[in-house]
Amino acid sequence: MLRIRNLKCYYGKIMALKGVSLHIGQGELVTLIGTNGSGKSTLLQAICGLMDHWDGEILFKGVSLRGFDPPAVVKEGISLVPEGRQIFPPLTIQDNLMLGAYTRLRRGARQAVEQDLETVSQLFPVLRERAQQLAGTLSGGEQQMLAIGRALMARPRLLVLDEPSMGLAPLVVARILETLANLRREGLTILLVEQNAQAALQIADRGYVLETGRVVLQGPAADLLADDEVKRAYLGKDYRDFDEGR
Amino acid sequence: MSPVIRMDPQERRQFQLERLQSTLNRAFRSVRFHQKRFEAAGFDPAEIERLEDLKRIGFTHRRDLGEHYPYGLFAVPLRDIVRIHTASGTTLKPAVSGYTRQDLQVWREIIARALEAGGVSPIDILQITLDPGLANWGRDYKEGAETVGASVIPYTPLSLEKQVMVLRDYKTSVLITTPASAGQLAMYLDKTGVHPTALGLKRLILVGEPVAPGLRSRLEDRLHVETWQHYGLSEVPGPAIGFECSRHAGLHVNEDHFLPEIVDPAGGDVLPEGETGELVLTTLTTRAFPLIRFRTGDRARFIPDVCDCGVTLRRIEWLAERTDDMLSIRGVKVSPDQVRATVQAALGRLPHHCRFFRRVQDANHWLEVWIGIDDTLFSDEIKELQRVIRTVGTRLEEGLGVPVAVRIREGRSFADERED
Repeated sequence: MLRIRNLKCYYGKIMALKGVSLHIGQGELVTLIGTNGSGKSTLLQAICGLMDHWDGEILFKGVSLRGFDPPAVVKEGISLVPEGRQIFPPLTIQDNLMLGAYTRLRRGARQAVEQDLETVSQLFPVLRERAQQLAGTLSGGEQQMLAIGRALMARPRLLVLDEPSMGLAPLVVARILETLANLRREGLTILLVEQNAQAALQIADRGYVLETGRVVLQGPAADLLADDEVKRAYLGKDYRDFDEGR
Repeated sequence: MSPVIRMDPQERRQFQLERLQSTLNRAFRSVRFHQKRFEAAGFDPAEIERLEDLKRIGFTHRRDLGEHYPYGLFAVPLRDIVRIHTASGTTLKPAVSGYTRQDLQVWREIIARALEAGGVSPIDILQITLDPGLANWGRDYKEGAETVGASVIPYTPLSLEKQVMVLRDYKTSVLITTPASAGQLAMYLDKTGVHPTALGLKRLILVGEPVAPGLRSRLEDRLHVETWQHYGLSEVPGPAIGFECSRHAGLHVNEDHFLPEIVDPAGGDVLPEGETGELVLTTLTTRAFPLIRFRTGDRARFIPDVCDCGVTLRRIEWLAERTDDMLSIRGVKVSPDQVRATVQAALGRLPHHCRFFRRVQDANHWLEVWIGIDDTLFSDEIKELQRVIRTVGTRLEEGLGVPVAVRIREGRSFADERED
């Protein structure tokens, strides 16, 4: 569905992504893990039309995304749940959700949008209960649900999430990830960028490990979970535990 | 079997590119030898944008393995290594390779895939008969066959008589061996009057060296078996890199784990598809011991069309002659430099005349080493000459893992003899 080849992104003269290639098949949940500054968010920004310049190739369903601005990318079927949620606090929850369907509403798909609002409400009942409440009054976890719900309102073919677990309590993280796993089971294709590698790999089909702008490892999520290097670098195991006496 | 082997070739190229790039990134990050090579060529792994760009990187030679003995080419900390293999190299120092837990899992899958393509299933009783020089493969095949679920009689060096006893009494249905050993077995059965129907043998998996078409059909006739060939590397990283399917028309290369190239052995240029040259391999999933453009010394060519068995992995035809000076003895690669170095170490110096040949007689294969008698070696005591023969022979057999015969000859007789 998504195929990236040799993606190179620059901030001024600094190359933040040094030739990244990856692919996501229809219905797959793929995770991209890596530490801060490894280039994960840069990659998402490039996919979503938020980077001015990049080299390489990004094909979505065979169409190059070169030169697409964010609304055009959304129209193609890619929805981003940005890092830090970026909801609109002064608006109601319902208005936040409807904004996710903005491009569809302009095309007059009101009935379908109403239906999706119902689906999203079923997925996250708390959003229905507080539909008229201001989004700024929600807890962190609820705001994340709202951000995901808003992205789903665009009826994406590919849902892209940037660090959805950031700053959330473990129980809330589990709830969010479970929702993603359910969406994947229903057939949605998902690209999940996470620092919380353990959690992400538990629900993903495959994963890519990014390090200073390069992919250094990829494979089935179960293999990565069992990988000594991944454990050391991303799953909170102390390097000394592994290297002592060698 | 895994769907990867039936993958559309275009889709596989994306897979391969991703794996190649991360292999290069890891090698560049963790192995000084590879880092230096990239730096010398003046480029960054990020410049490898297509599979074809790989040709910009220089080759890895067998001698590089010895020069970085023992752990210089490992790409992970020793803590992550769960197995260390030693194989004979091109000097006195052996080639040492390491495997992480994942590497071993990948090998098990690779070998299981190759065995399944040869029809091996959980109902089979599988026997492994290899020379000590291929002991590593013995272990690899054992694990691969166990993954398939076959009942495995692991590799143990046995006399022919014992081998036949096990074959007959244990009702072995699959035998993994070298063409040379299989030929020897067939001859032994003939000689001892054991009819193939007394055995339950159905499949013969031939490894280590290409099997000549004549020998192959003779083996099938005499032993009443179907034969399959596997291609592998005896030093690193292991067997079954290529395998035959039910069509027996070339060997499918496990392209999801290896990137094969065929190059001109002289100039090193990549040859057009279908032309004969030297097989060069790059690992795509190996963690502990990545090989980048390893010159195998094996002569091969790509078979251009797609196999009608449904497996889309490209096929090679594996040809008999080598592109280097290595001798293949019972499937074990023997380096002339290593033979010379071993003789030198055993005698304290390299004799003026020293030659060696691959010998075959009555299906027996061995390495024959001639040492020219000179003033230093000369002794009028037979015992002393026998000691020399024994010392050199033992050292060689220990280092190479193949049968060796040492002969002391007069210097002038060297000129007349030709190699086998």
